[in-house]
Amino acid sequence: MGKYSIGEFEEIVLLTVAVLYENAYGISIKEEIETKLNRKVSVGAMRTALNRLEKKGYLKSEFGEATAERGGKRKRFFKVTKSGKEALEQVMESRQKLWSSIPSSAFEFDFA
Amino acid sequence: MKYEVNPPAIPLKLLRWFCHPDLLEDVEGDLSELFKHRYKAGKNKARLYFWAEVLLLFRPGIIKNFQPFNNKINYDMLSNFFKIARRNAMLYKGYTFLNLLGLITGVASSLLILLWINDEVQMDKFHAQGENIYQIFRNMKQSDGDYITNSSIPKPAGDLIKAEYPEVSEVAFLSWPMEFTLGEGSEATQQGGRFASPEFMKMFSFPLIIGDQSTALEDEAGILLSKSYAESYFDAELSSDLIGQTILVEGQYEVKISGVFDDPGNNSTLDFDWILPAKQFFIRNEWVDDWGNGSFNVYVTIEDPGQVSAVSERVFNEIKDHTQGASNAGDETLILHKFQDYYLYSNFDNGVVNGGRIEYVRIMTVVSILILLIACINFMNLTTARSDRRSKEIGLRKAMGAPKSSIAAQFMAEAFLYSLIAVVMALVVTIILLPYFNQLVDKNLMINFLEIRTWAVLLTLVVGIGTMSGSYPAVILPALSIIQSLKGGMQKRRGGILVRKGLVVFQFSISILLIIGTSVIYQQLDYVMSKDLGLNKENLLQLQLDVDSLEQLNAYKTELMKIAQVSAVSATSGNPVSYGRSTSSADWEGKDPTKGYEVNIMLTDEDFIPTMQMEMVQGRGFSKEYNDARNYIINEVAADLMGFDNAIGKRLSFWGIEGQVIGVVKDFHMRNMHEAIAPLIITCMNPERSSNVMIRLEGDISEGITAIEQVTELIYPSNQFEYRFSDELLESSYESEQTASTLVNIFAGISILISCLGLFGLSAFTAEQRSKEVGIRKVLGSKVWQIILMLSKDYAKLIIIAFMVAAPVGYYIMQGWLDNFEFRTVLQPGVFILAGLIGLIIGALTISFKSYQAAVVNPVQSLKNE
Repeated sequence: MGKYSIGEFEEIVLLTVAVLYENAYGISIKEEIETKLNRKVSVGAMRTALNRLEKKGYLKSEFGEATAERGGKRKRFFKVTKSGKEALEQVMESRQKLWSSIPSSAFEFDFA
Repeated sequence: MKYEVNPPAIPLKLLRWFCHPDLLEDVEGDLSELFKHRYKAGKNKARLYFWAEVLLLFRPGIIKNFQPFNNKINYDMLSNFFKIARRNAMLYKGYTFLNLLGLITGVASSLLILLWINDEVQMDKFHAQGENIYQIFRNMKQSDGDYITNSSIPKPAGDLIKAEYPEVSEVAFLSWPMEFTLGEGSEATQQGGRFASPEFMKMFSFPLIIGDQSTALEDEAGILLSKSYAESYFDAELSSDLIGQTILVEGQYEVKISGVFDDPGNNSTLDFDWILPAKQFFIRNEWVDDWGNGSFNVYVTIEDPGQVSAVSERVFNEIKDHTQGASNAGDETLILHKFQDYYLYSNFDNGVVNGGRIEYVRIMTVVSILILLIACINFMNLTTARSDRRSKEIGLRKAMGAPKSSIAAQFMAEAFLYSLIAVVMALVVTIILLPYFNQLVDKNLMINFLEIRTWAVLLTLVVGIGTMSGSYPAVILPALSIIQSLKGGMQKRRGGILVRKGLVVFQFSISILLIIGTSVIYQQLDYVMSKDLGLNKENLLQLQLDVDSLEQLNAYKTELMKIAQVSAVSATSGNPVSYGRSTSSADWEGKDPTKGYEVNIMLTDEDFIPTMQMEMVQGRGFSKEYNDARNYIINEVAADLMGFDNAIGKRLSFWGIEGQVIGVVKDFHMRNMHEAIAPLIITCMNPERSSNVMIRLEGDISEGITAIEQVTELIYPSNQFEYRFSDELLESSYESEQTASTLVNIFAGISILISCLGLFGLSAFTAEQRSKEVGIRKVLGSKVWQIILMLSKDYAKLIIIAFMVAAPVGYYIMQGWLDNFEFRTVLQPGVFILAGLIGLIIGALTISFKSYQAAVVNPVQSLKNE
């Protein structure tokens, strides 16, 4: 896997953070994944992934404004770092390499 | 007014408690934002989701680092805890010994019980298709309206299922266990085995070492042998050359060996040394083709679990539907029962599965937990009772700044240390005791250290015992106040003493309960063994013999009667102490034609009644002076069922054979005491169709048996001489009760022992604490016995309370157990009083031992050191 290790769910979270760009914080990431990818995400699972990504240095975060809706708590906004971008690229490349080396007859299912 | 929407408080608090502080702010913010979104959709749902989200956040990466788990302090602290624990243990050796002995005994007993339970639960679970195999059972309506259930199924029912049930993928026939003579000449031995259809080998996992699994029983002239038998018979390494070799069965049929299977092993309830093709049996026994005759066991595989209920519904009335209006019609239904559950759930109550051995498994599970609990209680009691010994240490630790949590952790660590040592030593004890225990329960148990499960259980034990026995001291001891504990004064905490007393009551309640259980089981076994059966089971020999011809039988009987020790001989179709052969074809004067009844039939000869020493209530027994071939004797239950006040001369028929009643025999027990006495017809029409000879012996039994063997060899040379005593046969039918009795017996003893260890420790502690008081009392003129009484009466009271708790519980449980028996002893108050007295006496002895020591000490000794 090269020097970047990243799980499938982590990859989705990382990509979503990139997609949301300026507005990537807990709820928006969760909702984006839920609507676009049609899968349920718990706050716990997402928070752990974000945490891990930040520890790996793929994400950085800073606090935003506090709002009344959040009970006076600030939002934490996430941004993809340079090495985060590299990790994503590497995943994509390695996938592409595999895709391109699939022989054309591998997906013919009508022989049965 | 604007309504404030706030997330529920409890999960929020929980979150704030466990969440890492760096993450808390935005996580909490996210959650409250989400909550407010969801609140619009529905407030209960929002709350529920909030709870779920918080609980899902409880995972590594989110949880903060808790103080005690902080690595650096942990190590130094722990090593200090263990050092102090070791010093304390060494300082008070007697107390350490008591503590460990209790724990080790408790853990070792539990380990043994766990092994036993594990073995019971594993029974028959090794079949690859086990989840899908069902056995068919037949419920037969009895005269009293109840159903009895058995496993012999009419063969046409099995054939029908095979042909017409698409949900059933396989149907297998398996005979009851039979004994055949295999081999010839001096090689001949009796071996147990069964007839089975080819599907049997596909359905069940009895792998063939030699031969082809799928076609093994297709060859009708073939036989399958077990590995151990084949090895002993051919006395050589097994190889595929064996296939096709022949072996003589029953001295007359030559069959080819078509395979060798692995021995069924200890985990299989089906056990056999040979398997013959079922077809061989079916060809020779045409009666199996009748819907009215139960024959082989039938097993079916249903691959889709969803179809099971459909199949059982459909199969339910097959017998009724196919015998309607016929003379063999019986009120019978068929039910499915999962094969692998049969070992533990084999009791049928009125046609419905109702427990079985599982009850003993449950009882033993509870017993093992209780014993562990008693052992842990000892630990708690001894540790807290002796807390004054440690009070200076606790005070000093606190003065040096140790928080309560650290002192709690210390006592927890100590408990874990004890628990670890106890489990390791208990393991050694268990391994040493295992061979004896195996003998006792007739099993082949062993501890398999290669299995992860074994380690998981051991680890659970260490953690469980550590937590259980450490929790109470860890709560109580840190609460001591610094000044008081440094002063070293004894602190009276009423609450603590109350809890301790409560625990002692609990321990003794359990012990007394187990004593009650032991004595009731013993009484019931004694009752069933000594109850008047209606016949004399002593010195009654049962010989299995295929009688064949009447002349030969008569010659045999004449020869036997010449033996001095033989007082009577009778040929029968089975042993009357364990008999079951019934028909639904019986008909009599005044029978309600719409009702079907199962009536037992026994084939005998004219000497039956005197040989069994049965009593006639009405009429006469069979006699050679009359022609009794069409005359029948019935038992009282049958007379009652048939509504005969005066049965003599009444018309009676079965199997379509007309005859009349000439006598009524006093009821005798044909089955063990779990079952009611069934209606019975006795006939002497065909003595040559008997398969047993019952011989009444007197005087020197072994000499008599030798003489009988000689006579048998002379007249029935091809017969293997196999005999058994009727009383032993009967006794073996109470095997599981016997096992339960021994186990409960032993563990009652152990629980008493552990409880007494605890009591001993506590009384020693009391005696020591009150040594000054004792000294002063003695100076003022108290007698030794007065002091013993004073020191003991507190604990004696506890045992009396324990008895009052245990007695009603014991009554309730044991009455439930006795209800399993159709014939049972009455629960007498004596049993309870005895159990209470045993508890009290043992307890009192334990206490007075230390009290006596304290009472005889010279007061100078106790008073001089201040």
